[in-house]
Amino acid sequence: MQVTRRQFFKICSAGLGGSSIAMLGYSPTAALAEVREFKLARATETRNMCPYCSVSCGVLAYSIGDKSKNAKAEIIHIEGDPDNPVNRGTLCPKGAGLLDMVHSPNRLKYPEVREPGSNEWKRISWDEAIARITKHMKADRDANFIEKNAEGTTVNRWNTFGFLASSAAANEPGYLTSKILRGLGVVALDTQARI
Amino acid sequence: MTTLLEPGQIPQASGEPPRVLTPDAKDVFAHRARRFVQLAEGHPLGDYLRFMSRLAQAQQQALDALPAVPVPDDEAKSQSSQHGMPLVPAQSWPRDPVWRAALSIILCEAAPAASETAAASIKAVGAIDDTALEGLAERVLRTELYGEHADKLPFVAAALQVYWTKLAVQLGAAAIAPLDVPGVCPCCGALPSVSVIGASPEVPGLRYLHCSLCNTEWHMTRAQCTACDAAESSVAYRHIEGDKGLVQAETCDVCKSYLKIVRRDKDASADPVADDLATLALDILVDESGYSRSGPNLLLVPGGG
Repeated sequence: MQVTRRQFFKICSAGLGGSSIAMLGYSPTAALAEVREFKLARATETRNMCPYCSVSCGVLAYSIGDKSKNAKAEIIHIEGDPDNPVNRGTLCPKGAGLLDMVHSPNRLKYPEVREPGSNEWKRISWDEAIARITKHMKADRDANFIEKNAEGTTVNRWNTFGFLASSAAANEPGYLTSKILRGLGVVALDTQARI
Repeated sequence: MTTLLEPGQIPQASGEPPRVLTPDAKDVFAHRARRFVQLAEGHPLGDYLRFMSRLAQAQQQALDALPAVPVPDDEAKSQSSQHGMPLVPAQSWPRDPVWRAALSIILCEAAPAASETAAASIKAVGAIDDTALEGLAERVLRTELYGEHADKLPFVAAALQVYWTKLAVQLGAAAIAPLDVPGVCPCCGALPSVSVIGASPEVPGLRYLHCSLCNTEWHMTRAQCTACDAAESSVAYRHIEGDKGLVQAETCDVCKSYLKIVRRDKDASADPVADDLATLALDILVDESGYSRSGPNLLLVPGGG
């Protein structure tokens, strides 16, 4: 339906000469000349969730820069998402300062490792980071896993490992986190959302 | 002593924001008229905007003078809501001939401010017989804003806006249920002319679509295409570099359409219709970027069609 209608709402410089503005005796010439001095700026609004606490407020992040034109995109403003039923557009002082966290020079943006004996942090790839963490987990679990307690009852505990899950995880990641970690015998499982 | 609260005693938080807002009959067009005057200052289309201000003022006078009009009865209302249809559809509601009385008032009140050419158009509209007027009304209500009579349609549209605004006011927001399609007005089924942010004082940042015909506003989630429901990743906001971004064009890369968005949260005096007509430069630039406008401003016949 819209395809046939659409063209008729077209407001363009070629049309204005025959528009109701011109037909009513008001010249669009000056307005059309002005248009040539203008340029368009582009911004986007992206939904996200505040990472700080269990309330998980919705936020709208405003960025500038045209992804399609290889220009560097930059977040310029963050505010509460008015459509989110949890916070209805509001944010606490900590959430209201999210933009400063995004632009903080101290923010960790990629995995880093400080090797034993070294005093320097070294950047590593995600694949490398995940592989190293997995190896550490496996070695620790193999060494410390408790299959049976003193009475001989099966307990399958892994007491020497702890996990802190993200507060921005929705139900499904939360379910997966719990299933995988409990399956490994992890007891010390907590989430940032509880803090 | 501790008192235990029973369920229902705890006061509700601001709660659900209103889904539908009906226009303020006392001020809807008068506010628009004031805004047109503000915008005309130093504007290259200043004379046109000042005339539109007078037209909006005339609409307010016509609305003030309009007696109560027949609205759908309870049975018709429940039937509409049962089928998810607008209550007084622009194209099928048997409109009361009283809209032509509103037109007479508008023509009479707007004439003194008109340019010579506009005065001639006003005179010409006044001379059209009732049957032909109803024909022009049909064209406006089908949003056929092109072809002959480009100088007459805005006056007919102005009168129809007054009549449909009266209907919306009489029905009231409580009677107007949101439809399952977000892109058309739940009161009259017309297309929105723009979106407005900051229309509801309860939740300042919400987006409402503003009806091009009856001035009803209805809620729609932000950062989403109003024409095809595409998600935020396909939607961008464009405004003229260097301005405050009070009026932006929300463009969609899925359906290649756009609708302007008026940020009343940045300036509370902004008006959906007036600010739209004062920012045609934005339309032209966005059109040149390859997007088509998805909703009309009934007071403007854009030409070229």
